[in-house]
Amino acid sequence: MSAHSETEKFHYHEPGLQHQFEDMQQQEESVSIGMWMFLVQEIMFFGGLFTAYLVYRSRYPMAFAAGSNHLDAFWGGLNTLVLIVSSLTMALTVFYAQKNNRNMQVLMIVLTMFFGAVFLGVKAIEYTDKFDHGLVPVAGWNKRVPAHAGESHAAVKPCWEVDHNAPAEEHPNPRGEFQFTDCSLVKQAQDGNYLTAAERVGYFSNGQIDGNKFRDKVRIFYYLYFVMTGLHALHMVIGLGLMTWLLITAWRGRYNEDYYMPIEMSGLYWHFVDIVWIFLFPLLYLLGRHFMH
Amino acid sequence: MTADYSGTQKLNYLNNGFTLKSWLLTKDHKRIAIMYLITISLFFLAGGIFAATIRLEMLTPASDLLQTGTYNKVFTAHGILMIFFFLIPSIPAVLGNFLLPIMIGAKDLALPRINLLSLYIYWIGGLFTVWALLQGGVDTGWTFYTPYSTTFSNTYVMAVGLGIFINGFSSILTGLNFIVTVHTMRAPGMTWFRLPLFVWAQYATSLVMILGTPVIAITVLLLAIERFAQVGIFDPAIGGDPILFQHMFWFYSHPAVYIMVLPGMGVISELISNFSRKKIFGYEFIAFSSIAIAVFGFLVWGHHMFVSGQSIYAGLVFSFLTMVVAVPSAIKMFNWTATLYKGSISFDTPMLYGLGFMGLFLIGGLTGLFLGAMGLVVHLTDTYFVVAHFHYVMVGGQVVAYLGGIHYWWPKMTGKMYSEFWGKISAMLVFIGFNLTFFPQFILGYLGMPRRYASYPEEMQVLNIFSSAGASVLGVGMIMPLIYLGHSLIYGKPAGDNPWLLPGLEWRTSSPPPTENFEVMPVVTWEAYEFGEDSGLDLEAARAREAAKV
Repeated sequence: MSAHSETEKFHYHEPGLQHQFEDMQQQEESVSIGMWMFLVQEIMFFGGLFTAYLVYRSRYPMAFAAGSNHLDAFWGGLNTLVLIVSSLTMALTVFYAQKNNRNMQVLMIVLTMFFGAVFLGVKAIEYTDKFDHGLVPVAGWNKRVPAHAGESHAAVKPCWEVDHNAPAEEHPNPRGEFQFTDCSLVKQAQDGNYLTAAERVGYFSNGQIDGNKFRDKVRIFYYLYFVMTGLHALHMVIGLGLMTWLLITAWRGRYNEDYYMPIEMSGLYWHFVDIVWIFLFPLLYLLGRHFMH
Repeated sequence: MTADYSGTQKLNYLNNGFTLKSWLLTKDHKRIAIMYLITISLFFLAGGIFAATIRLEMLTPASDLLQTGTYNKVFTAHGILMIFFFLIPSIPAVLGNFLLPIMIGAKDLALPRINLLSLYIYWIGGLFTVWALLQGGVDTGWTFYTPYSTTFSNTYVMAVGLGIFINGFSSILTGLNFIVTVHTMRAPGMTWFRLPLFVWAQYATSLVMILGTPVIAITVLLLAIERFAQVGIFDPAIGGDPILFQHMFWFYSHPAVYIMVLPGMGVISELISNFSRKKIFGYEFIAFSSIAIAVFGFLVWGHHMFVSGQSIYAGLVFSFLTMVVAVPSAIKMFNWTATLYKGSISFDTPMLYGLGFMGLFLIGGLTGLFLGAMGLVVHLTDTYFVVAHFHYVMVGGQVVAYLGGIHYWWPKMTGKMYSEFWGKISAMLVFIGFNLTFFPQFILGYLGMPRRYASYPEEMQVLNIFSSAGASVLGVGMIMPLIYLGHSLIYGKPAGDNPWLLPGLEWRTSSPPPTENFEVMPVVTWEAYEFGEDSGLDLEAARAREAAKV
């Protein structure tokens, strides 16, 4: 394990060697274990969120299905693809560092950053869409759509007959609140007799489907959606910061076959953030789509 | 091994640079430990003042010194400062930081810059929390139970929560650093089973730190978002579940109890073995019991929720596992006792603390079994019995071990010897004062006095007066080290490199140690706690040598 038996033989100091280590191998081992421990810590951090997601999804599957159906699986799928390709370019950066190829290193870092930026751009488009459709779970943080005079008859319909695919203008939202008017899935589950025990309490008032109570459960889904994807996006932004630093140092020709730990460690982080998304995408976008498609 | 009295000051970590910058931008684990020591002492003092206020209020049955709302804020501040800003960093960040690299024969921790970063994060989180407490504080108790904390409490929940969130990363980074250091920085010949048991305990603690702390971080973050946005998963009004908060909170906060006591057990292993001048009994058992505590500690969080709506079947499992986690602690106790047997025991100040720990932790641990029993806990939950139990473990365990460790390694850290006379007096005052404070609380709790109330029935006043009186004795015992240790910094006798004549690596370098810990990198050829005939550590022979010199 501790690999510094032949210590005092010579005093040549390799350029990247920190003073507390005896040799490069010891330093690389330390940095690598440190990074893995950091990722373990990250797993526990996201693990709390995944636990919360699983608890509420198993309690209110219909509300989560309804929420999922208002996420765009195309954008989510595109982002999955983008991130997987960025993982490839990241891995190639390590490869070219090992091959002493500075130009390809720089190119691959730029490509990785490009894909990272595309991911965040798509995320921004999706968030804007949620903002426009009253799906941000915080009161006042949605687009304010003034109510039209003379169209109040739309609210009389029971919530399971509301056409949620109608344009946003037809859902007045003067105070920018969270809105979710379509509870057809509850009706469907009630008729098919597959509501969970929690749902039989959570969606109904006096034996009737209560649109407001159902909306609150969908709101829990969107709360989790924003916290989970938001923290993931924050990790992407930090990743882009790391990439900027790598780009500058790689441009200066810092990395070669003898010294590429910073690239490899940043790569571990980048892959980890990708893997989190690989779990987020099916959980948030795909589960429950068959109820409506 | 004898001290250098020639008068010429050797270059050590303390006189290697005197500027503020040489401290604030240092990467030396020893300087970082000293800065932790100073900050932690301030938080300990602040938490202690809140404790004194609580005991003053409890002198009389009516709530006359404090209004009930203020009382809530005072015990919350006491809990938050003591747990998050004193107990959790106490032994790891001060003694662990200072000694772990020396004990394994390394120049520094593996990641010195991360170490400095963790200190800065601790400072930022601490300042944030202190600011929030000065603004008006928080009245939820240190447990932040929802929905009171998210919806109803009208105090600075979010600010304090974020302070704790920030502070958590300091403890994660310290744990990460220790794990890496133990894996990669051991000197040649320092195998895993030659490590001092203090290092094993730090390693186990670090595992809990990196596995548990992120969970409290995300929980507190969710709490803060929920309070800020008025929507979330803990709000029963919209179908959320407050019990989920308790699960997530205790998933960290129960293992955190082991963050608070495992390092103390590590210190005690050192003290008991070294002051009995005898190889510790059952080295492997003590080492692996630390790891077992770290692992099983993650499986018992539900015993905090026996009466808060958790299913009784889950309760049964948690109750059983609670009994299981007591086993490794018992293994340690038995091994320490066996080490004392036929040992050559000397009652120096650190050893007095060490023996005090064994008595107090025994009571604290056994009363924990009362609280792990599902039937009995219905009567005892949320009473002073619980308060007394965890103070016996936290103060009787960790704080006593911390003070013992500080005294034990003080000559190494400062190069100066403190007054043994005052040290012994203070150790005994702490022991007596502590028992007088908290033993009556077991009885009060058994009689049904609930915790967290500013007033109580008149027939309970006598025991409460005992408790408050004990607290003042305890307070004196705790403040005395501040005075005589401070005094020793200037007037103390030079300690020499190995004042206790012990075999550990930290006693084979100079006091205070040089910046890179050893003049020549050590090669370890001996087992831990080796007091053999030929080790040159025979106490009587050394005394004879000293006498011959005079």
